[in-house]
Amino acid sequence: MTPAPAIEALGLAKRFGRITALDDFTLTVGRGEAFGFLGPNGAGKTTAVKLLLGLCRPTSGAAEVLGAPLGDRDARRAVGYLPELFRYQDWLCPREVLAFHARLAGISLSSRTAQIDEALEVVGLAARANDRVGKFSKGMQQRLGLAVALLGRPALVFLDEPTSALDPVGRRDVRAIVERLRARGAAVFLNSHLLTEVERVCDRVAFVDRGRVVAQGTVADILGAARAVRVRLESPDEIALAILERYGSVDAKPPWFTLRGIAEADVPRLVAELAGAGASVHAIEPTRTTLEERFLELLRAGHADLDDRHTNPA
Amino acid sequence: MPILTIATLTLREAVRRRIAAVVGALSIALVALIAWGFWKLNAAIPMKEAAVGADSALTILLAFMFSVVLGIGSAFLAASAIAADVDSGVVLAILPRPITRTEFVLGKWLGLVTLVLAYATIFGTLALLGIGLATGYHPPHPVCALAYLVAQSVALLSLALLLSTRLPALAGGVLAVALFGVSWIAGITAGIARALHADALAHVAAFVGLLVPTDGLWRGAVFDLTPVAVLLAEASRETSNVNPFGVTSSPPPAFLAWSFAWLLVVLTAAICSFRARDL
Repeated sequence: MTPAPAIEALGLAKRFGRITALDDFTLTVGRGEAFGFLGPNGAGKTTAVKLLLGLCRPTSGAAEVLGAPLGDRDARRAVGYLPELFRYQDWLCPREVLAFHARLAGISLSSRTAQIDEALEVVGLAARANDRVGKFSKGMQQRLGLAVALLGRPALVFLDEPTSALDPVGRRDVRAIVERLRARGAAVFLNSHLLTEVERVCDRVAFVDRGRVVAQGTVADILGAARAVRVRLESPDEIALAILERYGSVDAKPPWFTLRGIAEADVPRLVAELAGAGASVHAIEPTRTTLEERFLELLRAGHADLDDRHTNPA
Repeated sequence: MPILTIATLTLREAVRRRIAAVVGALSIALVALIAWGFWKLNAAIPMKEAAVGADSALTILLAFMFSVVLGIGSAFLAASAIAADVDSGVVLAILPRPITRTEFVLGKWLGLVTLVLAYATIFGTLALLGIGLATGYHPPHPVCALAYLVAQSVALLSLALLLSTRLPALAGGVLAVALFGVSWIAGITAGIARALHADALAHVAAFVGLLVPTDGLWRGAVFDLTPVAVLLAEASRETSNVNPFGVTSSPPPAFLAWSFAWLLVVLTAAICSFRARDL
């Protein structure tokens, strides 16, 4: 029997008084998948994670985590979490913090020490395992948070801005941890606004803006939707420009014209049409869109849509 | 078991943060000072009967100081028990684990109660032993008196824990101590009102005393620390001359039952309040 998805959310919403923090949150994250959840500050990313972890109650909608309803005790045994606001008992040492979480997670005594040692090793804190957490830098505390999240070999790990306090070495370590988790079949739900990181490690992504998921799919799909070609035309007439506009939105910086949204298969036909209309095509080249550019594009589109609705509230 | 894991952590925090060590050291110094003071006092009073009266009065006064320190300490410890974890974000890493919020609240409560019980037992026993060694005076029911003092602190820490589920640590602590004070004032007011036959005031004060039963429990401790001769003298006074700080009887079973029910209601409210809170 195929195991239930790691996360399945259907129309989850959370309102705090008159403020809608999350609306119609619907998505599925498969087992063993690294899922990037992206959005600007205050978009509702952390609220979504808190709802899925049972730290907040949804105003409406439903969700399952590892095939169990939200807050299910058994499902939580197999979930790891690094909060955005990571704080641990500063009067304990990392080994004691992990021992406390191991007891709460119900990890058997026989494997407890080995799992704690493994988690400390993976995050690079083995040498500082007996120092007081209160003396740690923010980066080291975040590493401890990662170790706590990895404890118990969870089937699903939520990482909320896991690299916010880390240096480039730490960020690389986090990438390695995500890849390692995915390799052993664990799902990772990665909240971040560091899009380069997400692009490197995630199979699928969703964009959230002002509480709503505005796009989701594989990284390739999301970037594919933003496929663009640059065409170099010398003194194009109105007919040539009209042809370009038929294939997508045009960003004109003569002699270069960037055409967005064109399907790859349509490119030869475009060239043929332009040539047939007598336009002198000097060059045509695909452009690479990064996740960051696509993200900003979606945000701008969303804001323009909202502005339109405010201007024409029909 | 998650409740015991949280309770153990609460106890370890008190030990690691040196709260227990500092309070313990101060308490031992205080016990030594008390024993020395009682010894000197008895040496200065030639009549044995007068010495017993002075010893019992001073023992009650010390117990009062102890009850205030224990109460305020419990209130501030409990007021920060949940609020500090929520404010710092520590709770965000704990609650996604397989632990219910009910277990979390009960674990905190159990840890705090154990702490209060251990401190009250050790310090109370040492203080009474010190007084006994220095003067030969032994209060009539020391174990029951200690039990009342612990019950008073447990009631107050439970109330502070309830406040801790919603209020910041300082606000919860101040409010709990203020309610502790209100209960004490209500007890004194009730005594004065009864002496003056101001029945309406006496009823209102008694009602306030039921809302926060700490003063009623304190009076149980006073009764168990007072020698029979002093109790008889109190009982034979003219009504208009009644001492509002003194007692003539132990708290009735109905009050004890009410206090127990009150404790359960406050604990249940703390659990419900924390369960309903978005973090």
